[in-house]
Amino acid sequence: MNDIIIAGIGGQGNILLSRVICQLFTNRGFDVKSAENIGMSQRGGSVVSYIRVGDNVGPIVPDGEADILIGLEITEAARNINKINKDSLIILNDRFVKPKNSELEKQQILKYFEKNFRKLTIINACNIAFKLNMPKAENITMLTLICKKGILHFSKEEILTVLSQVLSPPMYEMNKILVEKVYEKY
Amino acid sequence: MKKVLMGNEAVAYSLFINGVNVAVGYPGTPSTEVIETLKNFKDDDFYVEWSTNEKVALEIAAGASLAGARAVATMKQVGLNVAADPLLSLTIVGVEGGLIVFVADDPGPHSSQTEQDTRNFARFCNLPVFDPSSPKEAFELIKPAFEISEKYKLPVLFRMTTRVCHSNQSVEFEFKREKKKVKGFVKKPDWVILPALSYIKHVELKQKLQNMKKELSVYNKIEGRGKIGIITGGVSYFYVKEAIKGYDDLFSIFKITIPHPLDEEFILEFVKDKEMLIFIEELDPVLEEEVKLILFENGRIISTYGKRNGYVPFAGELDVDKVKDILNRIFSNKLHIKENTLTDILQIPKRQAQLCAGCPHRNSFLVVKYATKGQDVVFTGDIGCYTLGFAKPISTTDTCLCMGASITMAQGLKIADASKKIIAFIGDSTFFHSGITGLVNSYYNMHNITVCILDNLTTGMTGFQPHPGTGKKIYGEEGKKVNIENIVKGIGIEKILVIDPYSDFTENVDKVREFLNTEELGVIVFRRECANLKSRKSYFKINQNCLKCKVCINVTGCPAIDEDENGSIFIDSVLCKSCGLCKNFCPNNAIEKVMENE
Repeated sequence: MNDIIIAGIGGQGNILLSRVICQLFTNRGFDVKSAENIGMSQRGGSVVSYIRVGDNVGPIVPDGEADILIGLEITEAARNINKINKDSLIILNDRFVKPKNSELEKQQILKYFEKNFRKLTIINACNIAFKLNMPKAENITMLTLICKKGILHFSKEEILTVLSQVLSPPMYEMNKILVEKVYEKY
Repeated sequence: MKKVLMGNEAVAYSLFINGVNVAVGYPGTPSTEVIETLKNFKDDDFYVEWSTNEKVALEIAAGASLAGARAVATMKQVGLNVAADPLLSLTIVGVEGGLIVFVADDPGPHSSQTEQDTRNFARFCNLPVFDPSSPKEAFELIKPAFEISEKYKLPVLFRMTTRVCHSNQSVEFEFKREKKKVKGFVKKPDWVILPALSYIKHVELKQKLQNMKKELSVYNKIEGRGKIGIITGGVSYFYVKEAIKGYDDLFSIFKITIPHPLDEEFILEFVKDKEMLIFIEELDPVLEEEVKLILFENGRIISTYGKRNGYVPFAGELDVDKVKDILNRIFSNKLHIKENTLTDILQIPKRQAQLCAGCPHRNSFLVVKYATKGQDVVFTGDIGCYTLGFAKPISTTDTCLCMGASITMAQGLKIADASKKIIAFIGDSTFFHSGITGLVNSYYNMHNITVCILDNLTTGMTGFQPHPGTGKKIYGEEGKKVNIENIVKGIGIEKILVIDPYSDFTENVDKVREFLNTEELGVIVFRRECANLKSRKSYFKINQNCLKCKVCINVTGCPAIDEDENGSIFIDSVLCKSCGLCKNFCPNNAIEKVMENE
């Protein structure tokens, strides 16, 4: 596995999630590179992060080469399918924010994914984060579930270590509780 | 330690490790994180600040450098235009302590008004420019950049592009600061720019550039032995490497890390056994033109492919797939270096850029829009989140040029088309950056416009940096607070109104309508903290009274309100910031407040 794409809308914590995953790989001894689209009032706009494990590459994943697509939002995941192939792993957060000028409904997009890709997992991270009273933490909820399900092979301890490296102490304390709860309950 | 660093963070870490004493900048994507990271570091001989604009920042850095300190000024490419005045003079005056001008270019562009190429600026003002390809390389190049600056007594441009600034890489380093002793200012006639001196120094400057070529050349590198030479630099270097994977024997790569000044001998050596040259670079054909000049001057004729003969696009950023396409065109598809991917691809329309849910600017724009309904009005806009006032259905921004230009363009419009009412919008940080001088001009020259200062108490678009109006300094500590109304009054303008955009909409419309009744220069300050800075205590929902008339959606364009598959209206409880704007427009009382945790 080499290349990961994270797609979502601004405000979902895409960039932080990307940073956390990069540091997870780095702590395991890998060289990583990543890139993201940010700026120009992206809150609510399309945000995509590319993560590449391996050093001697550019920051952008070439078309068709991503091994994993993590969709924090369903429409944004669909927007980035040019980066994946039929064998790519797809993990979708069950969150749908329809672009104002789009006709595509949630079910249509989900059907499309089911029809074209064999390895599809849907995770209800948004709802779980909301229930746990941390609506802003759907990104870390998503990561925890991805690891818990064994899609990415990082342990709870590795996640917590990285969060302590990347987050401020108060943010870390909140997210630590979240990770523990997600491991316990979901 | 081995840590994942964003390109801008890598620069910040390296600056600190290499003893930078003074770091100043004005926020602008994609340059902002250099100062944002530096502010996390503290030392008794290190100072960092957000300055009011890029010219101010560079002049502070210049002053510090003359006293022997290592200094950096950071900005984005359009910010360099603002700082161009001191920069070009500084090349003549020279520096003492190492001075790096960090400039982030934005091919694409992702979040800029222009796609300008700072490598051209280096040619224009006769300065060396570093152009790293990755965060790791950026980290490594800061040290030589300081050393070159100190050796040749010249500022050095350190140019990166979005894909280097905002990409992350694991970087291994020891976080240990090398302290530089600041010797203090020594008086010299050199520090006073005068025409006679300027001529002498211009001659010296050309000589300095000539002298440093060889030394800088060591940062360029050649890979491979193929007969087809690809000349590239910046992040494009990696795109090229990936694109030619599997065809390494055919090609050799000349990676140019210092695009200016270029060492002729090194180029001629590389070109010696080449059958053709391909130039892969983003933005302007800087490498292509420089290398071609050298070839011409040395009587070397060779076929070249690049921007000048249409093989490489002039605009937009490159990526691996685009480089593969370029190579396929050059070799008439004989290389087959691009594989087909998925054929059945869903077409998804772009998400329109829009003001955030709960953004107080949305309320302010709508207040002015309603207050001027039916009148012939032009709305001039400015640079910041509120540029999005142009988006439907707000549609209250008719022009946008550059920082501060809303106020000044409004004056030009008024002179040329006096029958129209002209209303300028400008944000708080932009007002301090370059709005004040325009306002002074409109008072002095008696241009009767209305200026709306949208004060959200932060620099919203680049990630909430403080500015003089917040009274907070870079670490969050207390500074002196500059009151916008006092500036306006200080100029002499008496017609001032301060409004909270979250307060009663109808009342606000009445106030603004009355304010606009008289035709004289006036300033309205709309003040409400950015919606992303405060956690909410409540949110709104649609109740059973809703008749699906969609007025709430059509008037406000708030991203938190939408209709579902069945045409029912809903408010996204995650996005809603509880500003209550939508409630003002609902004819059926169908929007109600819900307290958090109920």
